[in-house]
Amino acid sequence: MTLLGDRLMASYSSRVRGDIERWAASGLIDASTAATLRRDVEASDRRSLSFGSVLAMMAALLFGAAILIFVAANWEAIPRLARVCALFAVIFVGYVGGAVVKSRGHPAIGEALWIVAAAAFGGGIALVGQMYHLAGDESSAVLTWCAGTALAAAALRSNPLTVAAAGIADGWLVMSLVGGFRLFAETAFPHLFVAVAVALFVLSYWTRSVVTRHLILLSLIAYAGLFAMDHDVLQVSFALAAVSVALFAAAVLAPEPVEGIARLGGRLPLHALIGFLTGMAMIQFTFADETGTGGGFAAASAVALAGIAAAVVLAGRESRGLRWIAYLGFAFELVVIYLVTMQSMLGTAGFFLTAAIILAILAFAIIRIERRWAAPVAKGA
Amino acid sequence: MTGRKLIASAVVLALLQIGFLGWIIAGRAAILRGGTEVLLKVEPVDPRDLLRGDYVFLSYEISRLPASLIANIPADRASSADGPVTVRLGKDADGYWRARTAWLGKAPTPAAGGEVDIVGHLSAGWTFAPDTTLSADYGIERFYLPEGEGLAIEQDMRVRPFGVRVAVANDGRAQIKGLMDGDRMLFEEPLY
Repeated sequence: MTLLGDRLMASYSSRVRGDIERWAASGLIDASTAATLRRDVEASDRRSLSFGSVLAMMAALLFGAAILIFVAANWEAIPRLARVCALFAVIFVGYVGGAVVKSRGHPAIGEALWIVAAAAFGGGIALVGQMYHLAGDESSAVLTWCAGTALAAAALRSNPLTVAAAGIADGWLVMSLVGGFRLFAETAFPHLFVAVAVALFVLSYWTRSVVTRHLILLSLIAYAGLFAMDHDVLQVSFALAAVSVALFAAAVLAPEPVEGIARLGGRLPLHALIGFLTGMAMIQFTFADETGTGGGFAAASAVALAGIAAAVVLAGRESRGLRWIAYLGFAFELVVIYLVTMQSMLGTAGFFLTAAIILAILAFAIIRIERRWAAPVAKGA
Repeated sequence: MTGRKLIASAVVLALLQIGFLGWIIAGRAAILRGGTEVLLKVEPVDPRDLLRGDYVFLSYEISRLPASLIANIPADRASSADGPVTVRLGKDADGYWRARTAWLGKAPTPAAGGEVDIVGHLSAGWTFAPDTTLSADYGIERFYLPEGEGLAIEQDMRVRPFGVRVAVANDGRAQIKGLMDGDRMLFEEPLY
């Protein structure tokens, strides 16, 4: 364990920490400078993902998957009481061992052990279901796992565990929609997801997990889009687009206070643009289905294109990511508009010709915009 | 968070999660130990649905309830709402237990000697017309098997009568105790 830890953690930050100790001991720097340097290394360490910590997390995910699949195999050679005890041991050793390792200065290994323990808790729920042949309640089993992982994230103030809880919640949403849980009955649309998402969003402030906030915002957009599709309700699409516009406006007009609340590293406009484009796409699909090439579709397309242009003008200069989302949205809009309005008039050759022209126009526009803004962005950075 | 505090909360967290799992195991083992034992007949179902992964799907005689069996159908409703259904079981001469009466929600009277109340779940939308049947589930519709043993049992189940021994707790919760191939016990569940 310690050998593995030393290997993985022999990153720049731990080397520089050793250097600081040596410089302080030899009198090159005084104690307060050493403390300042140490704090700075720690702060930048938290921001950058080292190769070792990525490997440790991947190992933890593989280990967790191995536990879950081992439980699913229901191997009779090991008595199930022994399997239960083994899982309990993994839970205990994972959480406590992870805390010990983390407090000794190996945060990546500690977080990885916590992920293994959280996976073992999920495996424990599955094993109990299997031992007692519990049927038809996978939905609440997955939610219990999500709640247990969120509790662990809160107790240990762990960023990766918060992301894991959000990932489990997303998995639950997908399984509910795809029909994994619909064994006996047509279940209602899983609106509970909104409550789970809000709870995890609040938790992410305590665990300082920006990744969770990004994931949850994208999941909520996907949820709203799927809800609009499943129920064919125009109001949801309108609401998604309108809320996105409001968030975008707030983030652009008052960047500092909004960032102070959202704390998304200034990326709220990106989410807002994605939400806007998703909502508008849903509206376009609805109109395209209902009225063919009627006025509703043209109006929605015009609003979508105007929204993309406005987003680039208002916030494109500061954010390269936003520009690329705008380009993708623009390309998507061109394809949708083409498919809906001209599909029946042109053959396959015509489609390829049009696609080529669209791509050429897009490439030209992107090159022009990127070149114009390359200089100011470089200056600002 | 300081090191000692972090380790302390990790210990509490681990014990909470282990305790939670242990509590479910204890509850299920209590039903197995103290519940009344009934034998339910398994009916063959559509073979495509029968085996899903590492468990066989079980459908019981009592999974289909004739609407005429339900004693308290509300006069103002044409179809069922999502909710519990209590089914009173009695033992027949062939050893299998079958539904005698059923109520939406709770039973008005406690079960007499030789009868057992099992609580199932009825989903919304089943019509209450007198000649229809309603489909209820009891949380015992699956039997997990060691990997690879499902197919043979699935095939046998279609040619011979199978039964499931079920323990029913006082509150109506059911727990599978064993899988019977006719009179022969195929799998018997230990408490833990």
